[in-house]
Parts: sequence; structure tokens; C-alpha cells
Amino acid sequence: MIRHEVVVVGAGLAGQRAALAAVEAGRDVAVVSKLHPLRSHSGAAQGGINAAVGAEDSVDTHIYDTVKGSDYLGDQDAIEFFCREAGPTVVEMEHFGTIFSRAPDGSLARRAFGGAGFPRTIYAADRTGLALLQGLWERLGTEEFTLYSEWDLTELLVRDGSVQGLVAFDRRRGEFEMIGAKSVVLATGPAGRIYGHTTNAHSCTGDGLAAAYDAGAYLKDMEFVQFHPTALLESSILITEGARGEGGYLRNSAGERFMSRYAPHVLELASRDVVSRAIVTEVLAGRGFHGPYGDYVHLELMHLGKEKVESRLQEICDYSRHFAGIDPVTEPIPVYPAQHYMMGGIGTNSRGETNLPGLYAAGEAACVSIHGANRLGGNSLLETLVFGKQAGLAAAEHAERATAPALDAADLDRSVAPIRAWSSRSDGEDPSTLRTEMQRTMDRYVGIYRNEADLLEGLRQVRALRARFERVRVVDRSRVFNLNLTDAVETGHMLELAETIVVGAYARTESRGAHSRTDYPKRDDARWMRHTLAKRAADGPQLSYSPVAYTRWEPKERVY
Amino acid sequence: MAETTVSATFDVYRFDPAVDRAARYQRYTLDLAPHTPVLTALLRIRAEVDPTLSLRYSCRSAICGSCAMQVNSKSRLACETQIGPEIARHGRIVVEPMHNQPVLRDLVVDQTPFWREYERVEPHLKLDPARPMPADRPTSMTPEQVERFKETPRCIACAACYSSCPAVEADPEFPGPMALAKLYRYVVDPRDTATRERLVGIQAGGLWLCLRCHLCTDACPKDVRPSERIRDLKELAIAAQGATEHGSRHAVGFKESIRDAGLLNEMQLVRRTYGPLGLFGQLGQGLRIWRKKPEVVRRPHRIEKAEEIEKIYAALDTGTEAPK
Repeated sequence: MIRHEVVVVGAGLAGQRAALAAVEAGRDVAVVSKLHPLRSHSGAAQGGINAAVGAEDSVDTHIYDTVKGSDYLGDQDAIEFFCREAGPTVVEMEHFGTIFSRAPDGSLARRAFGGAGFPRTIYAADRTGLALLQGLWERLGTEEFTLYSEWDLTELLVRDGSVQGLVAFDRRRGEFEMIGAKSVVLATGPAGRIYGHTTNAHSCTGDGLAAAYDAGAYLKDMEFVQFHPTALLESSILITEGARGEGGYLRNSAGERFMSRYAPHVLELASRDVVSRAIVTEVLAGRGFHGPYGDYVHLELMHLGKEKVESRLQEICDYSRHFAGIDPVTEPIPVYPAQHYMMGGIGTNSRGETNLPGLYAAGEAACVSIHGANRLGGNSLLETLVFGKQAGLAAAEHAERATAPALDAADLDRSVAPIRAWSSRSDGEDPSTLRTEMQRTMDRYVGIYRNEADLLEGLRQVRALRARFERVRVVDRSRVFNLNLTDAVETGHMLELAETIVVGAYARTESRGAHSRTDYPKRDDARWMRHTLAKRAADGPQLSYSPVAYTRWEPKERVY
Repeated sequence: MAETTVSATFDVYRFDPAVDRAARYQRYTLDLAPHTPVLTALLRIRAEVDPTLSLRYSCRSAICGSCAMQVNSKSRLACETQIGPEIARHGRIVVEPMHNQPVLRDLVVDQTPFWREYERVEPHLKLDPARPMPADRPTSMTPEQVERFKETPRCIACAACYSSCPAVEADPEFPGPMALAKLYRYVVDPRDTATRERLVGIQAGGLWLCLRCHLCTDACPKDVRPSERIRDLKELAIAAQGATEHGSRHAVGFKESIRDAGLLNEMQLVRRTYGPLGLFGQLGQGLRIWRKKPEVVRRPHRIEKAEEIEKIYAALDTGTEAPK
């Protein structure tokens, strides 16, 4: 059996930052990732990272914007810590080697972003995630640790109430391995592929969330799913909020900048839940454009001029040209909202600790919660680094005093036996088919606007798919890069998580942030200013609730 | 109304080390819109026809670098290569694994050598302890200094350049275009304090093995232009250390020969490249050339109006416009 003191699963920004913290604390660290670290989905983040560093800006304004953006579901103590760490975190990443865009005076350039009272989003053109990922990976590369690249997580091993290791599948050799650990940090990112229309990479299948849930961890606020307002039509490829931050307009088929109806003060730079609902409302009112790939609105950059568009939004130009055949310098970009981010995740505190000893989580896989019911653009990259570091430190501390894991070979066999059975069936369900049907169900019934009837139907369909998954079949007999097996593992994970999203959404009879119930259109602070906690039980997720942490900011109506 | 579709024929390289002795090609035919990316088509094959087809992919938006492969014999990202133009040009779409990396299965290659070369250029900031970074603020860097990185920060490590590089294929000592573009990125970084050490290291570390064919620049999906950065590294290495290698001495000798005489003095170039003693090592080849093409080894002379060439050199050296 492989053993390490701290095992980090996921090698995006949160996982790498956790690994760096644990290595610097002197622990023997391993990183397990389904992708080579430089291929992580963190690299797809475009717009920037928030930090109130200018003399005119203030940390308090960043805190307030985040609290307001969260629709008062974010924990204010965690948000205060988070925003205070922003400046030092960005400086550290710069010192690690990240190449940021610069202002003429040599300082870090900043741009405006949605829901922010000040232009505080620091960026690297429109590939900030890639710049940070390169900077951090190349810094981490100077340290000693073990990398298990292209390994899929299948299960966490819990003994005597604490997490003591995990089982993962090495794609290259086709072998399941048990890795013993004193601490495990899950930084496996989101599960956006639960939806068909998503900006997320194909690899975003929530493996860490599902493994934590199976192990008995709480999943928090899973019903809060962010839909990004501007995804490219058909492919749902992300068009950064930075496009509007740089001055882009949204227009409907009547040629109106329709955001004036929904956010009269800041128009296109309202927070994402507001802008996404506005686009859907315009389309439902018949003011969208129609095409073979569905309804859409226009994102216009033409008035910004060729020079600005091509330098600050270089990747966006490439995406529009390659994937939509559109030149944003001269034509509007057809956009429609798509699933983008999960505010929910594995419930943690500010140190990344979960309810299970030995288990930590950070990044999009975790829910601290700082984003509450709606995340602000530019806060997720910051979250990965701030809380990745905290989780790595806490995991290292725990590993220092924890006893060696008490696992034996039989644990591996027990864990892997059900998966092996998938390959020995002569008949059964195809994992790709189940995945596609799940995505259709979630797109149709658990989208931007929700209601009781839709959610009940969605739940019925997800449960039917889960029942069919019991008979999933893997037909590929090869050991090497058996993606059919990976498909099945991932689909099983996503079906479990889909159920927690629908159950949480059905129970929450109010509208808050990204969760919009047409049958309960008002926010209901008296009943619902609390976090949803989902715990796995025999007959599905069992819900309980926990209070929101308050410090200074009284809930108010959100107006942008 | 849906867009019209075309019937697209895919011939896909298949190889499973457990059962196949040699690679085979499997044909799939699908009706697809012409703007469909090759990756989307392959994923449809996986989902609807053949779940055993194996490949790497993740973001589908040309930012993760996973899905580089040979599409009709060119190293491309499958996610941003549309089927329409491929079919128009080639009639079908042949999909194969990248070159210069051993095939593990189907379209999946072993990238160990590629990553090893990347590690070899020490891709991280090297800092002089005597020159610490400012404690609580970012390093100052002007937009002009950022410009010096050129397009290298856009590199997504997809290895399309590595796959298309004949020098990688020919010489295990050559680090490959991606690693050299990465090295360039650290060489021009104003925060890095090992510039000279890096340049000295690479001058003897395979820099001059580049064949200047520019296939890497042609293959790069992010316009990183590795061959141009390799050229920059060569100039920077000579400026930092002088010409120490056969490759760099050849380049400098070539430049000087043209400047001095207006044409290439082959004898002198050989001496400049290999040194007076090394000249003897080249005697055999020199004799063979002399027998076949004696004009190559003719007496050196200066062309008429050689001073015009000197003017061009002077203009290039000062960076002003060359005389018409």
C-alpha cells in the first residue's frame, strides 16, 4: 500500500496551494489528480482575481460587496478573513512568478467586474486562471512531493470515524490502488457536468464531493448553482465577465440595452444571478434572437475598438472566431446563460475542516461559505488560493499528531469489488446514456427558474436514473486508459450529487441569489437565512440546516 | 431550422497494447454540421457508437491542452479543429496520436519525455538571495516589460509543437520548442536573476539543434511562435556569452563572412565553426567537396560594392531602417 502523510486530491489551484502549504510545513505530501496539473480547470478561469489593494479601494468594500453578492447567505466572519487575505495572496502569487497585466506605472492592472463597487479585479489578459496555474505549478515544482497524475478518485476510506486514506484508479496501468493518509484534502473542483449546458470542462464531475458524501461528510448549500450570463451559444464556452467589465453591452432583439430594466445603476455589471435572470426573462418575453441552437441575446464589444478587444480579450477573440465563427471586433457575440459554478460543496470552516476528522476540502469542491447564494466574479480564483492554503496548513497540522492509518489489503478489495462487477455484466446500462439523460433532466427542471412541479419531476427522473445506474455496464475490456470505466465512475458520482441539488432546491421555499423559485419569488430571511446540509442516508439525502455567521452587515434588499 | 449536415468519414488510429500487435484504423461515419469540432465528433463516437475509443480531453475550449492529436497529418487541438474545412480539403478526417511520444493506447500518448524536457529548463523563478523581492507588494513591471514575454504566457503545454518538430525526432539532446519557449519566458522575466546562467546552460544544452523549419510555430494553437523565441534565445545567448558552440560559431561566422566579403567564404566558415584544430577533422569532407564542386572551395574574394552590405549591417546594428 502507498502511504503519505497528507494526500491532496485535485491539482488545480486549490489543490496545489494546499500541497505547497503542507510541504512547507514539513509533511510528506502526495497529489492525486485525474489530469496533469497544468490541464486543471482552474486554467480556464478568464477574468481575474479580486483584491482591494488600491489606495481608493478598501477591504471593507470588498467584504460588503461579497456579502451583498451572496444575498446574505455568506458567512460574514469567513468573508472578512477571505477579503483580508486577498492582497497578500495576490502579492504572493506575483512573487511566485505569475505574469499579470500591468498598469503604465508598473503596478498590477485592475478591471471592473460584476457586483463590485470598485474596479478591483486583477488580471492577466483574459487568461488569469492559466497565468496563476502556471505560476503556482512552477513554484510548487521546486518542492519535494509525489504526483499521481491521471488517477481517478473512487472512494475515501473511513476507519474509526476518521478518514485514513482513499482508493484511486491509475488510468495508465489500469490498477486500483489504496493510498493511506493521515490527512486527505479534497480539491477536486465542481460537478458542472451534471448539466448539459455548462461552461465547465468535461472533467468537472464532482468526484471529491461524491466521495466525501459517501464517507459521511455534509454537502452544504448544493441547491445554489450559478449560471454565467454569457456563455457562447451551442458550445456553452465561457465568455468572461471581463468582456462587460471592459465595457461590453448586452442587447436584445429590439436593440435595447435591456439591463437598464433590471439593474438601473450598474446595468451589465450587476451580479451574475441578476444578469442571467434578466437574459432569460428577455427571451421568455419574446425579445431574444432565435437560431438553430436556441434563443440568445447579443454581447457587443464592437464599440470598444479593435485594439482594446484584441489585447485585453485575446482569448475571447479566439473562442468567438474558432467556436462560433464570429469576429467580436465587428460582430455581436451570441450568448445565453449556462451552468458555471457551484456555490455549494463539501461543508468546511475557514480552515478547510469538514465534519470528518482527517478530511479537508478547498476551492470549488468546498463550501465555507463565502459565496452564499451567489458568487461574485473574481472571488473564485481568490478562494482557491486563500482556502487551499488554509486547508493545507490544517491538514499538515492534523497529520503531525495523527496515528498511522489502519488499513489492510482487504479494504481495497471490498472497495473495488462493486466496480469490477460493472465489467463482468453481459447486459446493462450505458454510462454515457445515463449521463446525457441526467444532463437533460437538470437543464430542463433544475435551471435558472425553478418551481415545485419541475423540481418534483426532476427528482423523479434523477432517482429513476440512479436506479438504472445500479445496473451500469462497462464494455471496454482494456486496462489502459479505459475511459468507459472512468465514465461510469463519474456518472455515478454526478447522479448522487444531482439528487442533493434537487432535494435542496425543492426544500428551499424562497428565492435567494442563484436559487429562484417562481412559486416563492421573495427572499425569506426569517425562515431561510440558513445553510442547507445534506447527509447521505439509505433513502437519499437527509437535510438539516445550520445558521449563517453574522458580523456587521444586516440583510438588505439587493439592488444593483 | 437546423443547419445542414455533411456525412463525415473518420479513420481513427486504434491500438490497444493488450491485444493489438500493430495499429489499425477504424472507420466511423457520422452526419454532422460542418462547424462541428473534431473533438465533439470523437466524443459522439464514444457516446453513441464505440465507448472503447480512448483519448485525452477536458476543457473543449483550447485552454487545457489535453486534446492535441494528428488531424489529417497535422498536430492540432481536436477541440478547435472544425470538420468542414478538413473534409473539403481531404475528403475524410484521419485522426492519429501525436508524434514523438510513444502511443499508450489509441490517441493517448506517453508525455513523459515532453514533461521531462519542460522540467529540464528549470521553469521557475530563480532568485538571488541578495536581491529579495519587495516584502509586501508586487514587483514593479511595466507593460513594456510584460511585452517582452511575447506570446509565451499563452502556452498551454499541449505538445503540438513537440509532436511536429523534426529536431525532436532526430536528436534526443534537443529540448523541443515548448521547453525552449518556456526558457525564453524565464530569461526575459525581470524578476529572474539567473538570466546569464540559463543562457550559458542552453547554448551548450541543445539550443543550436533547432532546424529553423518553423513547423512548431505553424502547429501552435495559441500563437506562441516557439521558433521565433528560439531565435531570440540564440541571439541572447551569443550576446551574453559569445559564440561557444559549433552552432553559434557557425551563425556568427556566417554573419561575419557576408559582412566582410559580401559572400560566403566556406573555408573561413569551417575554421570559424570548428576552430583551427577542428579544421583538420573536416579535411576529409572538404576534399570530397573539392573533388565534386571545386567552386565551393575557391579562393576567397570580395564582391563588388561590398560596402553596400556593410551599410545594411550598420543599419541593422543600430536598429534604423536599412538603406533602400
